[in-house]
Amino acid sequence: MKQGNAIEVKNLTKKFKVYFDKGSQLKERILFRNRNRYEERWVLNGVSFEVKKGEAIGLIGHNGCGKSTTLKLLSKIIYPDAGSIEMKGRVSSLIELGAGFHPDMSGRENVYTNASIFGLSKKEIDSRFDDIVAFSELEEFIDNPVRTYSSGMYMRLAFSVAINVNAEILLIDEILAVGDSNFQAKCFNRLREIKAHGTTIVIVSHSLSQIEQICDRTIWLQDGLIAEEGAPRDIHPKYLNYMGEQRQVIAEKEAERQKDKTSDAKGTKNPHEQVEKDKVAKEKNRWGNGNARIRNIVMLNSKMEEQHVFATGDDMVLKLEYNVKENVKDAVFGIGIFRGDGLQCYGTNTRIDKQAEFNLSEDGMLQLDLKNIGLLPAEYIVDIAIESEIGVPVDYFKVATSFEVYSNIDDVGVIRIAHEWNFDGVR
Amino acid sequence: MKAISALKELYAYRQMIYSLVKKDLRGRYKGSALGFLWTFINPLLQLGVYTIVFSFMLGSEIHPYSLFLFVALIPWIFFSSSVTGGSSSVLASKEMIKKIYFPREIMPIANVTSSFVNMLLCFLVIFGVLIAMGWGANFVALLYLPLIMIIEYILCLGIALLTSAFTVYFRDLEYILGIVTMAWMYLTPVMYPSSKVLDRIATTRLAQYDYLWYLNPMTPIIDAYRDILFYKRVPQMSTLLLAFVIGLFFVVVGYAVFRKLQRGFAEEL
Repeated sequence: MKQGNAIEVKNLTKKFKVYFDKGSQLKERILFRNRNRYEERWVLNGVSFEVKKGEAIGLIGHNGCGKSTTLKLLSKIIYPDAGSIEMKGRVSSLIELGAGFHPDMSGRENVYTNASIFGLSKKEIDSRFDDIVAFSELEEFIDNPVRTYSSGMYMRLAFSVAINVNAEILLIDEILAVGDSNFQAKCFNRLREIKAHGTTIVIVSHSLSQIEQICDRTIWLQDGLIAEEGAPRDIHPKYLNYMGEQRQVIAEKEAERQKDKTSDAKGTKNPHEQVEKDKVAKEKNRWGNGNARIRNIVMLNSKMEEQHVFATGDDMVLKLEYNVKENVKDAVFGIGIFRGDGLQCYGTNTRIDKQAEFNLSEDGMLQLDLKNIGLLPAEYIVDIAIESEIGVPVDYFKVATSFEVYSNIDDVGVIRIAHEWNFDGVR
Repeated sequence: MKAISALKELYAYRQMIYSLVKKDLRGRYKGSALGFLWTFINPLLQLGVYTIVFSFMLGSEIHPYSLFLFVALIPWIFFSSSVTGGSSSVLASKEMIKKIYFPREIMPIANVTSSFVNMLLCFLVIFGVLIAMGWGANFVALLYLPLIMIIEYILCLGIALLTSAFTVYFRDLEYILGIVTMAWMYLTPVMYPSSKVLDRIATTRLAQYDYLWYLNPMTPIIDAYRDILFYKRVPQMSTLLLAFVIGLFFVVVGYAVFRKLQRGFAEEL
């Protein structure tokens, strides 16, 4: 092992056997031999990395990319098929909190049991006991049975034990969502302290902001290989972009599937029945006198490519066509954007925007350019409507289309307000 | 080298064994009105039942048969609970094994140790009964008692290591062992004296093979307990040595097999 390294992982590979239909009984094993077929799924295909002593790294990647498997291999819960792992110092893994807790025993006894599972001796636990209790803020309840604890108290005690093990290497898997926000902040501060003392930390998390707060380096795993590694600030935007693209692919597939479904249904079912159904479904979120109808709504990005996933701050183009059955006088086109939970984020129409009034007399097209959409990550629904002069709905189309927004900045709220921090020369 | 570091690690985790044993013993009767007292009441009540059945109802040439049986039955219960309980010990803690690291052998070790401590507590009852009945004891013979207990512990541990690892891959073993230990009890002089079988064999053509009787490692162990406590004499050491060697063999083989098989536990469970 190289000088100054705490963890060295070389060419790690791991496969799991996924049985199609595993029979554990002898009868099944003998009678249905071919049922014992299994598929080997490679979770890791040769991962190598080094972690320096006192360094904190974050493992990211989509579900099933192998990050949790890597952590399990590091903590020696499972063993690799090939490759080697070398680690220097006591390892403590915060993968499962509260292991071995007995509900009928007091908090005090459970601290001893739980800490002993991390490999601490009686003496070591004695010397840490006060710290553990103080950190959990459960001084008054420490002699009560754990079954009387609320789930928050339970997790607080469990986390306090785990974080006070004083290991040289700390492995953490998605468990920083413990307790209320105060306690979470406390956990974070504690982790920073621990890191400052030279503890090596490996974190698996979906929360990139958590990783950015603590880690010096991010390793992005993809299909059992390291896709990229580097400073969190460099890697995370790339990762988010990739995830956004992936989401779009999924959204497109979903749209196609829906289309197939409806066309399938039309082909197989009684056509009359289907038409009736469509009508009813349409009526539910669409109303108006029908003198004009909206159709072919498409969403495009600034390069005029169809897209349903946008980044905060992107430009968006909405295009639609309309058919006219009967003249519509002084038509007004309107749009409403709602967040998935129903909150209206924005709404406007041609009248509000003081567009010149116009009459619809023949089929046409409309393009709406939305510049620099400041919406924060969420799913959004778009309503589109045509009204006539005095607010008579001609075609009010609820949930006409939808889109998704992602971002690589973790600001919160509904929209992003352009801002700047100024410390010097405050007026 | 690897084995030594594994043993060192095991030593570092000694507090975990202690905690698990304590949790098991204290948690066993938790919630019952008499609580921990059951540890003592249970064997006393058993003794009462055997006294009624064998001394009054059936009658036996051995007197008092209840005591004769009792001093052998308590060590036997330790053995059988180690084999059956030990075999399921890894399986029973599968949630922990899947989620956190600790030397896996701790599970069978803690299980056997907990049964062992339970036996020690039952021995307090045995001594109480011996005194209450005015049976008395041979103090020189009593010095051998810890030795026998250690030999039995080693044997139990070896078997538990083996069976607990196999049970993970072959779950039926748990139930098979239930019936095996029952049959094993009848093959071991728990309910009858060893001499009864040996006398019987001596009259047949199998007389020359009577040493086979002692290949069952539990036979010399049970004989020794009875020698010390019931007959108040120093046990026969030659057969005990054989039991010790067999026990040691099981521990070494059991540990090696366990270390090898434990690599796949988390995935198999």
